[in-house]
Amino acid sequence: MKRTTKIIVSALLCVCLVASFCATLIGCKDKEGVGRYSYNTSLSVFPTNWNPHIYQTDTDSIVQNYTASGFYTFDYNATKDGYVVVPDMATGDPIDVSADYVGSEWGIDEGETARAWEIPLRKDLKWENGEAITAQSFVNSLQLLLQPKTYNYRANTVYQGNFVITNAKDYMYGGTHAYLDNMISGDEDYVDMTEFKYNAETGVAEANGHDYAVKFGSTTTWDSSNSLTTYYNLGYNLYFYDKLVVEGEGEEAAWVPAEDAKDMYVEMKKNEGKDGEIVLTKAYIEFLQDLVARMHGFMTVEEYAAEAGDYAYVEWQELAFVGKDYDAVDFDTVGIKALDNGNLVIILEKPLSGFYLKYNLSSTWLVNEKLYKSCEKWTDGVYSNSYGTSASTYMSYGPYKLTAFQMDKNIAFEKNSNWYGYNDEANKNLYQTTNINITYISGEDTRRNAFLKGEIDEYGLTASDMEKYATSSSIYYTAGESTFFMALNPNPASYTATADGKANASKAILNVLEFRQALSFATDRAQFALATSPTNSAAYGVFSSLIISDPETGTAYRTTEEAKDVLLDFWGLADDVGEGKKYATKDDAIASITGYDLAQAKEKFNAAYDIAIDQKLMDPEDTIEITIGTPNATTSFYNQGYNFFVNAFTEAVKGTKLEGKLTFKLDSTLGNDFATALQTNSVDMLFGVGWTGSALDPYYLLSAYTDPSMQYDSAWDTKSEMVSISFEGLTDRKDLNGKTVKMSLYDWTMKVIMGEACEGTIVNADGTDGEKVSIEAGTTAENALRLKILAACEGALLMRYDMIPLIDDNSASLKGYKINYYTENYVYGVGRGGVKYMTYNFDDADWAKYVKDNGGTLNYEK
Amino acid sequence: MAKYILKRIGLMLFTFLVIITICFVLVKLLPNKPPETFGQDQALIEARREQLGYNKPIMVQYFIFLGRSLLGGDWGISESLYVGTDVMELFSQKLPATVMVNLYSLLLSVPLGLAFGIFAALKKNKWQDHVISTLVMIFISVPSYVYAFLVQYILCFKLGWFPLLVDTGTNFFLPSMVWSMFPAILSLAFGTIAGLTRFTRAELTEVLTSDFMLLARTKGLTKSQATVRHALKNAMVPIFPMIIGEFISILGGSIVIEQIFAVPGVGELYIKAITAATPDYNIFMLLTCFYTFVGLAAGIVIDISYGIIDPRIRMGAR
Repeated sequence: MKRTTKIIVSALLCVCLVASFCATLIGCKDKEGVGRYSYNTSLSVFPTNWNPHIYQTDTDSIVQNYTASGFYTFDYNATKDGYVVVPDMATGDPIDVSADYVGSEWGIDEGETARAWEIPLRKDLKWENGEAITAQSFVNSLQLLLQPKTYNYRANTVYQGNFVITNAKDYMYGGTHAYLDNMISGDEDYVDMTEFKYNAETGVAEANGHDYAVKFGSTTTWDSSNSLTTYYNLGYNLYFYDKLVVEGEGEEAAWVPAEDAKDMYVEMKKNEGKDGEIVLTKAYIEFLQDLVARMHGFMTVEEYAAEAGDYAYVEWQELAFVGKDYDAVDFDTVGIKALDNGNLVIILEKPLSGFYLKYNLSSTWLVNEKLYKSCEKWTDGVYSNSYGTSASTYMSYGPYKLTAFQMDKNIAFEKNSNWYGYNDEANKNLYQTTNINITYISGEDTRRNAFLKGEIDEYGLTASDMEKYATSSSIYYTAGESTFFMALNPNPASYTATADGKANASKAILNVLEFRQALSFATDRAQFALATSPTNSAAYGVFSSLIISDPETGTAYRTTEEAKDVLLDFWGLADDVGEGKKYATKDDAIASITGYDLAQAKEKFNAAYDIAIDQKLMDPEDTIEITIGTPNATTSFYNQGYNFFVNAFTEAVKGTKLEGKLTFKLDSTLGNDFATALQTNSVDMLFGVGWTGSALDPYYLLSAYTDPSMQYDSAWDTKSEMVSISFEGLTDRKDLNGKTVKMSLYDWTMKVIMGEACEGTIVNADGTDGEKVSIEAGTTAENALRLKILAACEGALLMRYDMIPLIDDNSASLKGYKINYYTENYVYGVGRGGVKYMTYNFDDADWAKYVKDNGGTLNYEK
Repeated sequence: MAKYILKRIGLMLFTFLVIITICFVLVKLLPNKPPETFGQDQALIEARREQLGYNKPIMVQYFIFLGRSLLGGDWGISESLYVGTDVMELFSQKLPATVMVNLYSLLLSVPLGLAFGIFAALKKNKWQDHVISTLVMIFISVPSYVYAFLVQYILCFKLGWFPLLVDTGTNFFLPSMVWSMFPAILSLAFGTIAGLTRFTRAELTEVLTSDFMLLARTKGLTKSQATVRHALKNAMVPIFPMIIGEFISILGGSIVIEQIFAVPGVGELYIKAITAATPDYNIFMLLTCFYTFVGLAAGIVIDISYGIIDPRIRMGAR
């Protein structure tokens, strides 16, 4: 054979080999895809540990979402616009069996309810390997969760918050001396100062057989929102010196540290123990007494005592924790019992019922005991557990089982044939998804390209994608929990604190309500969202559409009449709704809100100018320099936002008395102190600020806007801001129907809504003050009462115009042609149906063919 | 020679210990995430930290580390990045992907780099040399992630020749796996090919003008015989250590390339271990020890390799 012939034959053979190899690969792929419905998705951060006892992040819980179940679960309501909580591993609602556990053993008094609950379990609960799951499995798993000395990260889910299993914490901390409980948490008496004895050697203070400690990092009874560290970092560090003196006289008098003063925060920190505790000595107690006095405006405890009496000397106890020896506790004393294979009883330290009980039982602590124990490791007293870190160290009991896990690469699931739900009639025609593949893709471009090639079924859009895909029929917007604001600083201290002359003083116009209103009307929120982060949407109220006002029924706050009225009042449309008026319904009127009214803005600017001149807040020749703060000079959201405001406001003042007088300055150096810059009067305006939403508890979130330590506008005294609320239609508090009650915004939001009874004043028909009435509207109060308060307080917050709603933190995504969602709208708790309700237009084989037939790249622009 | 090697190893171990000590102290000085920011039972977080020895003096922690990890081989459990995972196991899971992508890249780069370098040297100052030199400058100047984006966009997305991402799995010898790795391999190879080409060209150009080359030609050797037998062998003295150096960098991985093509390697691990809100001490120290050791050992290997390539070079000779 000639050399050329040899080469040609070899080349042909190679080509044949490669071709047959490729054909085999393609053939296999096509065959594999028939009848298989894979939901392919991606993550840019991968879960690392989904052990229910130690997982830490939401990402970590992704594996559990597919492979685990709860006693109860969220599902669509009948109208598919809200949720209901339905039994999952349970067969029915929890049964109140508190009466069966009355007695000292469980601390339940006769007649008490909602303390012990029996959960009837399904009989067909199984692990993926077919082994049965019984009530005892939950008991054993709880024991593993609470094993002393393991310090499992999620142990506190059964003893912190409102779901507290009896003795769970004591079992967990058994055999240790710890400072876990507040010295004063409710009914306890203050310890008389004369009862304290001080150890001669160590100086440690002891009373009633206990020592005591303070923890700088912990919140306490004294302030359940802020720790002493927060106070120290928020500018109260002066109060932490052991000795203060007064310097200057009259109005210039100010507290300053004495020459030999020590910063007790620093000093005491040196003695911090392993749990962050600083055991109290006489000197430390004396310092705490002074510290509390200073927080009340008195330099020393003696001065404070002159006003508050003996309480001044014991108030520090609200900051302290009691040291206790926690005896090793038998697990039998922990409030969980398996009555038989199918009935589990959970005994709680505090009453809990209804939605919140089922919500806490919508995930469990269940682990496969045998596998879990094989993953345990003790090294020199240090516990670790590798359960839930790979496919081989995890056992599923949900609708899908984990088949492969490659760290930072891929997670694969397939249907778990041993899952009880597949035998249920209710799930017939659901769970069409046979496989789930999650791929790690960190780059946005790669993720988009993978979506366009049909490799993943959903793609979260970024701001830069919006120009191309904003009008796509495949786009889905999802409301976020958070609303972000434009925060203005009307604090007089902001223009008197520094001494840079008239330009600074002219900022006083910020204190004029009309000026703040003008800025609000001059802001086209939709345009702002487009310019800064197009996936977001304009915000017109304090709470977004995802916020739930009644968790029991899943009612979204913005759909309630009360919430609608707030928006109509605030945006001046209340009189335009009704028959024969501009808007037939409230919804029509709300849909018309844009928040942007240039004519009104100009009118308000003129009015503000007149007021400022009248009140001598500025001179006619003054210019107003508004300093806008941003955390850095590199984030495009803030840079584009700043430019947007400068242009919008400059345009809005044209033709008004403020034309040419309004200037702006950017301070992009705020860094991590960005959020506190307004409180410390460093800037006049921030934007894109607010508090992370709390979908199920907007009531608690109210406090973020009215608590002096958290308010952006520190000048607003919510204790003197009176809010009147008219009540109607209440069932539990019928005595309030038809009455208007007046109370400070602070009391409504920080006390009444938190469950503390407060006295309000009934407003008579002629506007005069009437009788006093006590109101408490905590979590156990009727929702109608809480809703009225929530709406009224939202209105009050808006009317202040210092926190002006700007954008709702929405997200946008594209849905691939392969899949269908169950509902177009996103419903809290259920989303758009998830894999349970997802249906498919193609199986994997058909989908591969469809993508290929469309040139390998799909078009989602239309 | 043996004495020289032993001396170098002794010095290497000393240097290793100094580096490890400095790194250990510095990483322990980094601020830890305050327990109150976990939103959990703070006592639980603190107790866990106490159990892990975080509250002990650094010196005590250091000796525990020396005894348990460095000498005992127990590198502990990841405490913040991959909670509960044995860090050695994690590292050994992720290292092969990095090594294989880079090894393939080296296998592609070395012959091509040498070939282009030799060709450019032989065609010195001709248009071929100018074209190669220009391309070399471009490929050296532009960072590899730029090629990576271009390679992925053009070859994977637009032309559809390769998958966008490296396949799932750990069998790096499967044809489909190698095929899926090719874009990443190519992206990494561009820079190495360019560097090797430039270096080879420079060395070979110098050798080709040496007197002994003239002698070789006058002895009657053809140009290619003289080049292969004499010029190339001499030019390899500095080139070969460079190839070893490239091989060492294999183990470091490439953060960006691994991210773009979803290579489940160690590239990100080092950075993440130290930039995490809570530094992952165990991962950081394992990687520090590994890379320090490999770097120092490579230095010795490169030095010794000079003597092997060129017998005229005698190690430790006075």
